Amino acid sequence: MTKSSILIIISFFAFITFYSSTFILSEGHQAIVTEFGRPVGAPITNAGLHFKKPFIQDIRLVDKRILSWDGFPNQIPTKDKKYIKVDTTARWRIIDVLKFIQTVQNEKGAKTRLDTILDGHTRDVISSHNLVEAVRNSNEILNTIEDQKEEIKKQKEKGLFILEDEISVDVEKIIEGREKLSQMIVNKADKELQELGIKLIDVQLRRISYEESVEKKVYERMISERKRIAQKIRSIGKGETAEIEGRLTRDLQKIESEAYRTAESVRGQADGKAAAIYAKALKINPGFYDFIRSMEAYKKSIKGKKYILTNDSEFLKFLK
Amino acid sequence: MQNRPPENYEWLKTKEYFKKNSKTVISIIFLFVLGIGSLSSFYTVEPDEEAVVIRLGKYQKTNPPGLHFKIPFGIDNVIKVKTKIVHQAEFGFRTSSSTERRTTYSSKNFDTESLMLTGDLNVAEVQWVVQFQISDPFKFIFQTSEPITNIRDISESIMRRVVGDKTVTEVLTTGRVEIATQSRELMQGVLDHYDMGISIKTVKLQDVNPPRTVQDSFNEVNSAKQEQEKMINQAEEAYNKVIPEAKGKAKKLISEANGYAEAKVNRALGDTSRFLAIYEEYNKAPNITKKRIYLETMEELFGSMEDTTILDAKVKGLLPVFGKLQGAN
Repeated sequence: MTKSSILIIISFFAFITFYSSTFILSEGHQAIVTEFGRPVGAPITNAGLHFKKPFIQDIRLVDKRILSWDGFPNQIPTKDKKYIKVDTTARWRIIDVLKFIQTVQNEKGAKTRLDTILDGHTRDVISSHNLVEAVRNSNEILNTIEDQKEEIKKQKEKGLFILEDEISVDVEKIIEGREKLSQMIVNKADKELQELGIKLIDVQLRRISYEESVEKKVYERMISERKRIAQKIRSIGKGETAEIEGRLTRDLQKIESEAYRTAESVRGQADGKAAAIYAKALKINPGFYDFIRSMEAYKKSIKGKKYILTNDSEFLKFLK
Repeated sequence: MQNRPPENYEWLKTKEYFKKNSKTVISIIFLFVLGIGSLSSFYTVEPDEEAVVIRLGKYQKTNPPGLHFKIPFGIDNVIKVKTKIVHQAEFGFRTSSSTERRTTYSSKNFDTESLMLTGDLNVAEVQWVVQFQISDPFKFIFQTSEPITNIRDISESIMRRVVGDKTVTEVLTTGRVEIATQSRELMQGVLDHYDMGISIKTVKLQDVNPPRTVQDSFNEVNSAKQEQEKMINQAEEAYNKVIPEAKGKAKKLISEANGYAEAKVNRALGDTSRFLAIYEEYNKAPNITKKRIYLETMEELFGSMEDTTILDAKVKGLLPVFGKLQGAN
């Protein structure tokens, strides 16, 4: 064996040993060192170059990142017997590598356990609350409705016509709400998951929908409610129209009759005034007035006509 | 003396060559490695990117656009991330093509994504988009295992939470902007809680409709409202046409009466003042005046008469033959 060959072989073995005594932990991962399968030391969570005993020690890696869990949509009845489909997701992370590897070994194993635990607690929480607690998060909607009612009242007082949109379902006050329900699921599952080295960050009620047969009924309710609103709008409209038409007739009559009354009164007053003027003047010498007036009458009536008169007619008094 | 060369002749020849020129061979190999090393030790980051540098597994830094150096041979690993692009996540619908002039949408049904319950326990179909950017490339890659899935899950969950506090009318009409604003805020909050390095730019509501089955009845309400407005407007119009006209007529009637009144009074005043004037004259010389007036009247009278016959009152039985008698000749 040449010196160089021995050198090559020695450097080769040195290299392998060096290689086996280091490992690189990438970002987003955490690891535990095992010696002949037995875990040794604390979990390694910092990324970078680390050292271990060559050959006899090995590394088991798990994810350090936030992982997602997606539950299969469940059909769950609520406390008020509404059948809904609840689709949940959750974020979780491995906080105790050792426990995790010992209990579920890997993410696949974890998923199975998460399915059971989270499904169970979701079912518990949902079925012990009314539907509205899972749909709404706050009582903000009650304020909205109150504001709407106020608006409508104000507009009515001003005399403006408003078409109301009615809320058919009695909107009740909620105590918990969506977020609190999610938190309940997390709290319930926390202890069990701690045993698995898992920390649940949150559970999201991603989708809540009606189960098919219930959906149909809800749609029927929505349709009949809309029909009722349409009906109400029509009848309010008819009422308003009738009122306007009535007002038209009434105002018209009022205007016409008042005008007639005023006109007649004016005429009457004038007639009276004229009569008074005549009376006052003519009372001075009624005989003379009689004479003058008759002269006028003769002038006007006798002109240019064929007349046969007797000589003792009153009309010809002054011709005698 | 050998007749043919040994089998390992070529190998021996090569060994000879290497032994002779070992220095040059080694230096050639060295230069070769150095060359490769230097080529792979710098990189460019484009203007719309940022580069995450991982050295021996550990995060080093994030580099902005430009020319940068790294340690070659796998020691430094550079991950380039497009941080300027605004990504768009669609919910309740999918754009199938936006290359032609008009964007087309997938006709598939995305009901499970779009149907949701409102606060008054009605159902609405909501379509929306979320536009986001990567604000921290390192966090985007290394904080969560499925960042895009997280964004989608949170988006759906938050949208339903916000819609779940509104009435169906608000969702369909008046509350759209508020829903979008609230959703954006809440989504950003959750993503920050996960520390994902994502920044939500906008949330925009697209089509919001009542579910298909129910749509007709919603339309019925709208058309009832329109019908109503029309009927009322027509009634008001009729009123506004008739009443002013009537008022005008009324005014006319009254002013006619006033006219009559004034005329009557003026005539009375005129007549009486004339009478009083004549009377004043008469009073100065009563007999003369009376006679004068009488004669004037007679003059006018006889002047205009065509044919007048005055009979004695004592005549009885008169035959109406005047006209005929004259004509018969």
